[in-house]
Amino acid sequence: MAVQVEHLWKTFQIPHEKRTTLFENLVGMMKPRRYETFTVLKDVSFEVDEGECIGIIGDNGSGKSTLLKIIANILRPTKGMVRVKGKMTPFLELGVGFQPDLTVKENVGVYATIMGLSRKEILERMDDAIDFAGLRKFEDTKLKNLSSGMQVRLAFSTAIQTDPDVLLVDEALAVGDMEFQQKCFEVFSRYKKEGVTILFVSHDLGAVRRFCDKTMLLRNGEQEFFCDTTQAIDKYIYKSNEGDVKESQTIEDDKSRRGNRRIEITGLKFMDKYGKENDNFIHGDPFTVRIFYESHEKEISPVFGIIFYYQDTYCYGTTTEFKGYDPGLIYGRGYVDFIVDRLPLIEGKFDLAVAVSSPDNKTLYDWHDRLYSFNVHNSTRDLGIFSMDSVWRASDKG
Amino acid sequence: MLTSSHLHELWSYRDLIIRLAWSDFKLRYKNSALGFFWSLLEPLLMLLILYVVFSNLMRVQVEHYQLFLLLGIILWNFLDRGTSMSISGIIGKPSLVQKVYFPRDILILSTCTTALMMTLLEFVVFIIFMAFFEVVPGMTVAYFPLLFIFEFLIILGLSMALSALNVYFRDVQFIWRLIVQVGFFATPILYPITIFPEKIRWIVMLNPVALIITMMRDSILYKTSPEPFNLAYIALSTLILLLSGYFIFDRLEPKFAESI
Repeated sequence: MAVQVEHLWKTFQIPHEKRTTLFENLVGMMKPRRYETFTVLKDVSFEVDEGECIGIIGDNGSGKSTLLKIIANILRPTKGMVRVKGKMTPFLELGVGFQPDLTVKENVGVYATIMGLSRKEILERMDDAIDFAGLRKFEDTKLKNLSSGMQVRLAFSTAIQTDPDVLLVDEALAVGDMEFQQKCFEVFSRYKKEGVTILFVSHDLGAVRRFCDKTMLLRNGEQEFFCDTTQAIDKYIYKSNEGDVKESQTIEDDKSRRGNRRIEITGLKFMDKYGKENDNFIHGDPFTVRIFYESHEKEISPVFGIIFYYQDTYCYGTTTEFKGYDPGLIYGRGYVDFIVDRLPLIEGKFDLAVAVSSPDNKTLYDWHDRLYSFNVHNSTRDLGIFSMDSVWRASDKG
Repeated sequence: MLTSSHLHELWSYRDLIIRLAWSDFKLRYKNSALGFFWSLLEPLLMLLILYVVFSNLMRVQVEHYQLFLLLGIILWNFLDRGTSMSISGIIGKPSLVQKVYFPRDILILSTCTTALMMTLLEFVVFIIFMAFFEVVPGMTVAYFPLLFIFEFLIILGLSMALSALNVYFRDVQFIWRLIVQVGFFATPILYPITIFPEKIRWIVMLNPVALIITMMRDSILYKTSPEPFNLAYIALSTLILLLSGYFIFDRLEPKFAESI
């Protein structure tokens, strides 16, 4: 067992008025102090085996970072116990203790010592760290004269000179450009291969999916799920909303709306594979758009249309007519569903325009221009906006 | 607390303490063209002013008054610097408290070590002065290192308590400045203890810092050994200050990361 966490609770007390001086405390002695207690972690227990890579996901404020800091011994738990076996290195922030007025070499020395390297190890690995950061030419330059990108690179290349048994990573990968992130991933793969136990807090679900054997989902400080990564991400994205999909209130009139309102579009909902309302989806999962309407007169075979945008790019547009579907007689309130079996969009925020018009397409009844949006999360390593159903094949050689 | 396992842990972190202290030490001089000499200029300038004022205007009659004064200033500066650098040792380094973990007293140990380095540098000047005035210390100088270690531990104890309290009460640093300023004049640094009537001297000497500075001066300049009773008093008060400093620090330490 590399990391063992038992019934961990963490409560912060936030006073209504903060007294930071002796004077304020003396003056305030008469008044009782009132606190807002805020429980960040509620009875979290789990065990991590040696060599496992564990992801920790959850919304902002769900207690991810607090959990990591308690494991790192930076914060003390209110109740419960943490046990870590072996040497632990936290990557909560890169470049802790960097001094702008010291040279690159001196900073590597100080930072490596903070990260727990011995003097001998530092002597041996100093060159590696500086070379990996590509700063050989600047080794005697003061840190403040380097660009912030160089500083991050230096911090990272120094930090990875450590050889921990347990590594705690908190969004450290969120900094830097694509190339740097790629480098980070390579290093983490290497650590993983070497059998280092990794606890990885991230918003980058793609990275979690790629690296983590198991994933914990925290929701409001509670451990909602801890097991298979795919399932954890699934549970995270398709939060269980209570109740069925209901029609929302009428949309305010604005510039995004056109048409004579013979048939009115009264609302729009996105539905996930569980039939629940949602606006986050995983690539490749079922996806449904439900368009609510109210027809003030009897109307036969009107045409519903839908357009997907990614930023200003027109990605896809279709109508009931194009798809050869006839909604038949429409009167009063109802809805039509646009059903996708496997969501081909890969990643990002997509906007939606919906419209309804007369059967001959000549009269526009109602048009909502990009009033709705939803998010798609990647589950593959594909890049871009949408995926093509495809395979690779090499020619038969010889 | 200062258990043997904690001391053992600190020993394993010795590289870190020295590295932090040394980088801080270098930082203090890096940006000045005169480098290390700046640090020597300050006590020398102060010495000059005080010497002119006290030996000529106030007519203080003390043997080797220049050296008496210089040593007093150096030793007092050690206390002043050590405590005032340490007092913001926790709140001044949020990332070292909130983003990594090592025993937090290391932060204070390292600032006190920086102050120690600066003081040792000033001692170089003092030795040059001694040579210049042709004062040869006697055998009693052997007591000096011991007393110097006691002073370091007193500074450490005070720094532990002050730095921890300063996390929660940010005006502690201003109150402490005031105390240090009053202390400078209440301690026999500029003047010998003999200016007080014999009856009340012991009150002044209740202050362990006053006693230790006097004893250190005696051991170097006046070939006088410390009295065993005084030595015991210093040892005891050092122990009390150090332990209570650590006690306060340990009590407040768990919430440092949340309170900065």
